[in-house]
Amino acid sequence: MELKTFPATIDSLDAIRQYVKEKSQEAGVDKKATYNLLVAVDEIATNIILYGYQNTGLEGNIDVFSEATPTQFKVIFEDDATPFDPTTRELPDEEDFNLPLEERPIGGLGIYLTITGVSDFSYEYKNNRNRNIFVVDIKSP
Amino acid sequence: MKVAENIIESIAVIEVEGNIDSKTAPEFEKAAISAIKGQGQVIIDLSKVEFLSSAGLRVLLMIYRQIKSQSGKVVLVGVSEDIQDVMSNTGFINFFIIVNTLEEAVETLKKG
Repeated sequence: MELKTFPATIDSLDAIRQYVKEKSQEAGVDKKATYNLLVAVDEIATNIILYGYQNTGLEGNIDVFSEATPTQFKVIFEDDATPFDPTTRELPDEEDFNLPLEERPIGGLGIYLTITGVSDFSYEYKNNRNRNIFVVDIKSP
Repeated sequence: MKVAENIIESIAVIEVEGNIDSKTAPEFEKAAISAIKGQGQVIIDLSKVEFLSSAGLRVLLMIYRQIKSQSGKVVLVGVSEDIQDVMSNTGFINFFIIVNTLEEAVETLKKG
């Protein structure tokens, strides 16, 4: 696994996306799947930065691990903020998406984009750290 | 990210350049609120936007609600295929008119 560490501040969002994009392209993930992965990592990084650190007045880092095999590209975010499992957020469903935009509840959109943006998204709390795990299956060309 | 506000043929035009994420969305929102004040129609040019997160979608939703309350229309210009896919997955796409060029956007709104 490769590791790069970013300060958990809103200014890191660009750099985190840029880093994941490079690694994803190196791994052979196609353009569209890479974009959707970037949407997913951006949403989770935003949550960690705003709710894990900034709003609680804590300072810290996000460790971004990545690993590629011929069939899979994996990104893991680790942080030391308060345990928070994003998969417990209530997701918008089909019914919400059919509502007129003016009546649409907006919560949960980010986590929806995260889960639908990758092949598998999971969360675990291990060794006192939050671990958000993104997996993208690589399609053979 | 940069945001420019213009008026073309008395239609408010908001041109965004760069990435719209949680860091930059508040600036986009602020510029959009000022640009659409008292306007019934608005064009948002996203030709130079590479990345749009859910924070950006929320701003588009806010603009749509404001304009809709005045029975107006929102036209988006130059939305990348990647962004269109995200808008389509979340049901956002049906509420906006999406065209390729600024000229088409102006024509669309002129026709009423």
